[in-house]
This record gives sequence, C-alpha cells and structure tokens, in this order.
Amino acid sequence: MSLQWSADLEIGISVIDSQHQRIVEYINAVETAHQHDSQKELLEVLDELVDYTLSHFAFEESLIEEAGYPFCKAHKKVHSLFTRRILGYQQRAKADENVAEELTHTLKTWLVNHIKHDDRDYTDIVKANINEASKRAKAKSGSWMSRLFG
Amino acid sequence: MTCFIWSEEFELGIDIIDHQHQRIVAYINQTYAISSSNHSALGSTDVKTILASLVDYTLSHFAFEEALMEEAEYPDLSEHQLAHHQFSELIENFKLRFEQGEDVSQQLARVLQHWLIQHIMTEDKCYAELVKQKLLGIEPERHRLWIKNAVSRYFQ
Repeated sequence: MSLQWSADLEIGISVIDSQHQRIVEYINAVETAHQHDSQKELLEVLDELVDYTLSHFAFEESLIEEAGYPFCKAHKKVHSLFTRRILGYQQRAKADENVAEELTHTLKTWLVNHIKHDDRDYTDIVKANINEASKRAKAKSGSWMSRLFG
Repeated sequence: MTCFIWSEEFELGIDIIDHQHQRIVAYINQTYAISSSNHSALGSTDVKTILASLVDYTLSHFAFEEALMEEAEYPDLSEHQLAHHQFSELIENFKLRFEQGEDVSQQLARVLQHWLIQHIMTEDKCYAELVKQKLLGIEPERHRLWIKNAVSRYFQ
C-alpha cells in the first residue's frame, strides 16, 4: 500500500514539507517498481531517491545549523546512519538481490518516524530563524527604498 | 493483554528523547499485542516486520542519544554505549530464536519493557542533566536553587 501524504507529516516549514513530499513520491515509485517486478526500474528509482534524499539531508542540516538547533550533530548522525543503510540496499539491489519489499517497508517506517519525532523537534527554532531573517531582509530593502525614494 | 504505560517518571525533560522513548514504548506494546493475538491471523511476515521496525528504531535512537552525550562530553559515554551494545546483542538473540521458529514475542516484550525502564531510570537519567545544561542551557535544579538562595540571602 502506498504511503499517503497527510497533515500529520507536515512540520509547517514549506520548503521542508515539499522535500518530504517528494521523498514520499520516490518511496511510492520504489513500491511501483516492485509491483512491476522490474529490477531495472527499481535501480533507476533508487538512484534518484538516494540522490534526492542526500540533497535533502544536506539542506536540512544547514537549515538547522544556521538556526542554532542544539541537537544538530545528533540529527546529522541519524541521517548518516540512514544513508549507510540505504546505500547498503542500493548495493544489494545492484547485485540483483530482491530487496524491494524490505526496502519499501524500511523507507516508509524510517521517514514517518523521523519526520514525526526528529524533524518536528527543530521546527520552532528553524521557523523563528526564518522569520528573523525575513524581518532583517525587509528592514534592509526598506532602508534601501527610503534612500532611493525619500 | 499486558501493556506498557508511559509514566511521567520516565521523562528526562529532553523532549526529543522523551518522544523517542515513547515511540519505543509503542513498539513494545505492538509486540505485546502480537503475543496475545492469533499469530496465524497476523502472519509471520507481520511479526517479522514489527520486530524489524522495533530494532531499527531503537538503533537509530541509540545513535542519536550517543551523539548528544558525545557533544555534551558526558564522562560515562563509553559505559552507556556498552549498555546499548549489550541491548543490541540481546535483541539479536531474540531475532535468531524467532527466525528458528520460536514464538518469542511475549518474552521479548517483557524483557524490552524491563530493560527500557531500568535503562531510562538509571543510565539515561545520569546523562540528562549534563545534556540539558550544556546543549540546552538549562541549569541543573541544584544550581537554580543555589542561585535562588544566594539572591534571597544577599539581596533582601
């Protein structure tokens, strides 16, 4: 059964929610490849999923570091552990092992748990940082406008 | 059906860790649910899936916790890691017995519950204050009381 995006997976930071939704789509594509019984399709989707997930992790990590989230290192550690697992699955799939079902379950379970517990914990501090940055940007453009137009 | 009920006494006051512990409790309760149900209705794949999820989540939680302790320069980190490692070996043993066809779910749930309570109340409570102080800037209760007493002594 495909993973359905729902409100309880939203953390309220739109760029992160969009990235998480994209990962859900990739996970469902892995499941579709399994249903099609196509190892070629699985390998292609898995490559894209790994690339996208690593980019997402890097983005998230800089967001939380910039916000001064106190548990950055621990959060990165969990990302790193999961990356090793997914790369392991990728290696096994490349060796023609049938990993799709186990992989799909692991991906779904990990993502839901990670969003609901780990990602949710940084939400307040990151939102506050984004708001502050927005205010600073507006104040800066405001003063530029006043200099230009009096 | 036996059930593991979360209690405030298990809270460390570090929200993310408390939530991760609560998630493990939920997995333990799923294991209790398996043990009191008709296994043939569930299917061994479902049992295997729940056990795999429990193991995966616990290992991820351990990694997170150890990273917190490392950053806070907790002096007993290696002892704590040893406790985590011993737990992983215990779970591995249950996994092997399950794979050999033994019905381990009831015993596993009881052992996990006992281990988690003991681990939270002794080992985890030991690091919590240091992590709160160093990473969250929360002064330990004894410091807050000292400051309060000093203020009332010298500034009244």
